[in-house]
Amino acid sequence: MKAYTRMLWLLRGRDPQEQRAIKEDAELLLQDARARGRGAVAATWLALMWDLIIVGAGYDLARAFRSLVRSPGFTLTVSLLLGLGVAATTTLFALINAVILKPLPYGDPEQLVMLWESNVPQNRLREGPAPGQVNDWAASNDAFESLTGWWTAQATLRGREGSAPVQGVQVTKGFFEVFRRAPLLGRTFSGDDYIGRPSIPSGRAGGAEPILVLSHRLWQSLGADPALVGGTLFVEGRNWRVIGVMPADFAVPDLNAAFWTPWDMRESYNGPRFPDGPPREARFLRAVGRLKPGLTLEAAEDRMEVLAARLAADYPRTNAGWSVQLVPLRDEMIRSSRTELLLVFGAVFCLLLLVCANVASLSVARSAARAREMAIRLALGAGRTRIVREHLAETALCAVLTAVVAIVFTTVSMGAAIAFAPADIPRLNEVEVNASVVWFSIAIAVLATIIGVFLPGLRGSATAIASTLKDGAPVSGQNASRVRRALVVAEIAVTVVLLVGAGLLARSFAGLQRVDPGFDVQNLLVLRIAPDVTRYKGAPLVTDYFGRVFNSIGELPGVASAAAVTVLPMSTIGSDFYRPYWLEGARPAGNAEAQANVRMATPGYFNTLGLPLVSGREFSAQDAIDAPRVIIINESLARIAWKGEDPVGRSLILDYQGGATARQVVGVVRDARYKGPRSDPSPEIFIPHAQNPYLVMNVLVRTTIDPAALAQSARAQALKVDPDQPVHSVTTMERLLAATMQEDRFAMLFVALFAAAGLLTAATGVYALLAYTVAQRRREIAVRMAIGASSSSVARLIVMESLTLALVGCVLGALGVAAVSQLARSILFGIAPQDPLTLVTTAAVLFTVVLAASWLPARRAARINPVAAMRL
Amino acid sequence: MPDRLRGVDHLLPLKPKVLHILLALADGPRHGYSIMQEVAARTDGHVRVWPAAMYGSLRELEELDLIAESEKRPSDDDERRRYFALTPLGKRVLSEEVRRLEAIVDHARASRALRLRSGQALRKERA
Repeated sequence: MKAYTRMLWLLRGRDPQEQRAIKEDAELLLQDARARGRGAVAATWLALMWDLIIVGAGYDLARAFRSLVRSPGFTLTVSLLLGLGVAATTTLFALINAVILKPLPYGDPEQLVMLWESNVPQNRLREGPAPGQVNDWAASNDAFESLTGWWTAQATLRGREGSAPVQGVQVTKGFFEVFRRAPLLGRTFSGDDYIGRPSIPSGRAGGAEPILVLSHRLWQSLGADPALVGGTLFVEGRNWRVIGVMPADFAVPDLNAAFWTPWDMRESYNGPRFPDGPPREARFLRAVGRLKPGLTLEAAEDRMEVLAARLAADYPRTNAGWSVQLVPLRDEMIRSSRTELLLVFGAVFCLLLLVCANVASLSVARSAARAREMAIRLALGAGRTRIVREHLAETALCAVLTAVVAIVFTTVSMGAAIAFAPADIPRLNEVEVNASVVWFSIAIAVLATIIGVFLPGLRGSATAIASTLKDGAPVSGQNASRVRRALVVAEIAVTVVLLVGAGLLARSFAGLQRVDPGFDVQNLLVLRIAPDVTRYKGAPLVTDYFGRVFNSIGELPGVASAAAVTVLPMSTIGSDFYRPYWLEGARPAGNAEAQANVRMATPGYFNTLGLPLVSGREFSAQDAIDAPRVIIINESLARIAWKGEDPVGRSLILDYQGGATARQVVGVVRDARYKGPRSDPSPEIFIPHAQNPYLVMNVLVRTTIDPAALAQSARAQALKVDPDQPVHSVTTMERLLAATMQEDRFAMLFVALFAAAGLLTAATGVYALLAYTVAQRRREIAVRMAIGASSSSVARLIVMESLTLALVGCVLGALGVAAVSQLARSILFGIAPQDPLTLVTTAAVLFTVVLAASWLPARRAARINPVAAMRL
Repeated sequence: MPDRLRGVDHLLPLKPKVLHILLALADGPRHGYSIMQEVAARTDGHVRVWPAAMYGSLRELEELDLIAESEKRPSDDDERRRYFALTPLGKRVLSEEVRRLEAIVDHARASRALRLRSGQALRKERA
């Protein structure tokens, strides 16, 4: 009962008689309950307390609501500002939650490690292991419970509605044991399923029936019929039995995986071409192992090192110098994104703190404005606790509004964040607004409101009655004012850093766009064709097919020429072959040969691309399968191999498909930046497509009109030749080029967004501070005006104050820029962090904004009526 | 304006707690504690009103002129207690509300899908 009496202060606003009645009745109720036992007493007491709290808080909330409705400007500004800050933080939290914090969707994911091969002396780091190694690792059984390797193959899926290109994953024994994931439907592979199955590209007939497990995505696009399990799919010219479907979040190696199929490595590497079984030098697989329970990563690494040393001793030609690296799968997946995301999160959190500081500044200004009201209420007998309680209720309302604003903005901005984010951030598809995101948002909203509204407002209740009522003197002392000034200066300094960053990134991006990629990017249409291996077997058929495709596309008006290559500049699709070469009679000892990218090109490719020949000739129809082996090289290779002499007519030995053969150089082309403007040209060797008829090609069309307008008709013309061969990824070279700069664009937009937010924060900060100062110095200004100061000189006084803040902020910001300039150097392209134009522009923008923010307070100061101001 | 001419529709429907308080006062004036006990007794303890909320409601009802402090009080009582009684307006509001609820109950009974037993049958069953 004592507690109850103490809690009665909640009802202070009520009539004392009513309060007494409530108390007495509560006592009677408790007495009644005592007769019924302890349980009843406890229940009654709880009910009474609850009743008191609900009624008391409801009363305060209602008051707070009325007061907020009376001055909606403050409430809305605060909730909007805080809400935006919280929304930004929450969005980043959602990203981090999905990408970093959530466990991988596999059983016991912490046991999973990815395996890489590295050769430090040759500076070949983190290469996917070769089949021979994966085979031995899995067999050795030293460190891993199970270990699997896989590779991804392009395949053509033919259905009722035509053909579609899909990615099939060839997995070695133990794949589903490693990942420990149950299928959604049907079953996954078990031991015997791996034996004797044909691989995706193998045209071989016979052997065991091909089987596959579907990805959720492909299953969905096929109609999500459970009856698909047990049925067959027509892939790469043969029927495959579907034995299961995986859940939606099973994405190994990524979401593009359409199906998984068992790969019998021994079956693939069988026959006279592979006397030693699975090759050890073709490093192209991806491998993941499940550590034995209780085995640490270090212990496993040690055991794998022993194994690698043994293999190096057994197979010195292919394995000398090669070691094994083990990386936890989780780290592997978020390797690059983790630091970026955490940095961005830190930045967003700083922004939130800035916003809080600003709102705090507004709150202080507001409580100063209400100081008289408070003082009068205190003088009339309102208790301080009552005022604090009302303030608490006000904070609660603000927090609710903030949380609502934040959740709405988060939901809206999530889509934008995902669209803007670089596509290589893994697990982006798992980002969502879920319960933990909403709770995070609420918690941050409450925290931000406490910092921004509750704590600063407390000062208001500590008002000294007498002095406030006496002459409207300043409420908070010099000290508080100095703190707020420091806050604004800090805001300006941070904004300067962000503005400089945004400016530099924008200039760097513009610089990237000006880089000459080496060829004519405009008016190029790109499409990809992956003909069926079973239909087009042998060089003549393939050459003939592509020739007909070029002719068919060439018939279109607006097309100048068409050609094809295995890997296009700027394109991420297509496989590069990095192969050793040497000059005749000059093969280096060991395996220290220089390497070059090998690509297959059709006649007219360089002409179509607009990449000029430095000397020699292009490929022609004469460079057929039975003609002498020829190649075209780029300037980089010519420089490295022949050191300035003209290589045309000379020979070079290339170790590629079918062993080392001499090939004559017939032409040298200019260097192109193959991987985007940031990349440097690397040595390249081009082989006539007819002499190595690769199936999956990128077709390039030079147009005389807007290439995008020709996309559909060019695709149709290609399909006219053979409607069963999929033609896809139709795009323009300009778009491919833009895609290589996607990360730069992301960084630029992101920092620009931040700079804008920072600018807004600084502007409101300056405004709130000056508005407060003007209110505080009302009497002083009035006196100045009374003794002859003009309105303009008063306005100047206020503006000067803002300019001082801006100047100090700028100087501090410049120091900040100097501090982070080393970091920026690595991101920037073709521009120094001290770029004067950027610095000057930043200062100009900042001063303009600060001046604009001080305009209203200055005008208010200039319009003070001395008579009215001094009367108070 | 005389009470009986004043419309009562804008006061309906009553909040459940308010309805229970008015019902408790239907048989005559009561003081606060007695209202709480009466409500608990009428509903077998399923509905309870607690003092802070109840006195708030009583004040609102007084302001709405649905109840008034009563002069009639037992001789043996603590003189500090306030007794409340329904005003004529309060009585009308209560009967209007009961009529409104009755209409709803009738409608529900008429719906055969619900198969509600009548109040009589229910009482027999209990007996």
